[in-house]
Amino acid sequence: MNVPPVAPALEVEGLVSGYGGAMVLRGVSLRLAPGEIVAVLGKNGMGKSTLLKTVMGFLPAREGRVRLGGEDVTGRAPHLVARAGVAHAPQEFTIFQDLTVAENLRLGVSSDADYRARLGALEGVFPRMLERLRQRAGTLSGGEQKMLLMSRALLARPRVMLVDEISEGLQPTMIDRMAEALRAAREGHGVAILLVEQHLAFALSVADRYAVLKLGEIIEEGAAGDPAAAGALADHLKV
Amino acid sequence: MTILALDIVTTALILFVVAAGLMVILGVMKLINFAHGAFLTVGGYTAMVVTDAGLSPWLAAPAALAFGFGAGLLIERVIVRPLYDRPLDAILATWGLGIVITQLITLGFGREVQFAASPMTGTLPLGDTEYSAWRLVVSGVALAVGAGLTALLYLTRFGLNARAVIMNEPLARGLGIDSGRVRATTFGLGAGLACAAGALITPLLSVDPNMGLPWLVNSFMLVLVSGVSIPSLMLASLLLGGAQVLVSSFVSPILGGMTIVVLAAALLRINPKGLSLG
Repeated sequence: MNVPPVAPALEVEGLVSGYGGAMVLRGVSLRLAPGEIVAVLGKNGMGKSTLLKTVMGFLPAREGRVRLGGEDVTGRAPHLVARAGVAHAPQEFTIFQDLTVAENLRLGVSSDADYRARLGALEGVFPRMLERLRQRAGTLSGGEQKMLLMSRALLARPRVMLVDEISEGLQPTMIDRMAEALRAAREGHGVAILLVEQHLAFALSVADRYAVLKLGEIIEEGAAGDPAAAGALADHLKV
Repeated sequence: MTILALDIVTTALILFVVAAGLMVILGVMKLINFAHGAFLTVGGYTAMVVTDAGLSPWLAAPAALAFGFGAGLLIERVIVRPLYDRPLDAILATWGLGIVITQLITLGFGREVQFAASPMTGTLPLGDTEYSAWRLVVSGVALAVGAGLTALLYLTRFGLNARAVIMNEPLARGLGIDSGRVRATTFGLGAGLACAAGALITPLLSVDPNMGLPWLVNSFMLVLVSGVSIPSLMLASLLLGGAQVLVSSFVSPILGGMTIVVLAAALLRINPKGLSLG
């Protein structure tokens, strides 16, 4: 019996994008299978965040396609990409500072019924968020704000998560918790995760595969578990 | 003394209900809707049309609310939405829209002053005094509008989405919120509130094509002073509206008409945050 091939959770094909006349991405192609974690590595200014913004629809794709589960979402508005099953955890302006923790979490879920049904799932990953539901998000510490960001993305139960430098500025213990949360999302709900990172050890400990982005092009790809990869990758990330 | 206190409170509440639509649109859309006065005028004429048609005057405000909401949705789609990326042009467009609406009303109904029937006439006993029944009704409606808007913003999903759009629109869109729909609904709501306010104040006044203009100026100054906050708008309406009543009663009604504008400008000169409660 032939088993039909499973469409990639996220497929980026020949993506060209940028700001004004400056092209930042120059034909990027990536595929994430359902439940797969792929780390996109690179120094600052290489196009990592631009890649996520273009997938989300915040920046127009000048060329190339973005597909979710085989469905072409190129050119769709960000709210439609989100509704198609993508949760974006951006690097900056990540939470609503003047809303409570609970309100921030509610915004990640399409209905209040789903929010109530899923809230308990945070007990296993970020129980502190459950203790702070009524607290204004802007009063959380930096690490707690990252927890809130991840919690909101996890509650959305997306098909694909786009996670932008979640480890930045975090203590090692907190980085470990983020890694656990990402693994839990993958194992619990089969979420495919595109992880943009500069923290090599964290990225390789979580990801199945890696891709190195340099000047808007993917110059190297491989398996994250390959022991030879770490040394070569460290050279790519040197400033 | 009791009458004076009632005048101050009811004037404040009337000012609040008149300015509420302007504040709602400014808060979510960052747009100063200079057609607000024209929407008030449309509400006044809606009240007149409803009563002239032999329908109950009690239907005037709901009819104006519904008409204003529908017209607001249409105007947002056709005029405002194409100008979202050009906020100054959008403000100018609402100014022009106000002129067009006023001219259309003049063409349709003439320049002369007209009157709409009041749902309630006379006075109601209030303690040891009597007071205008309709002013009391409008005050009650204003309180209900304040409570309703607060509930809408803080107890509903639409309100949560609207607050998210106010705070950070790109982030809200990335979470699946259709900010375009939030903006359209908000403009419809603001226009509907303005029209309903026009219908509510009509029994206290006469109707003419420019009836909304002085209310637009006062509403604009009140919203500038209060910022985007329902309690702050209530406070600004009470303080500045109260001053207007006192100046009108004890100095001159003509000076009273200028009181809100002058005090608001002075207040903003002293404290740029005005009376904002946060």
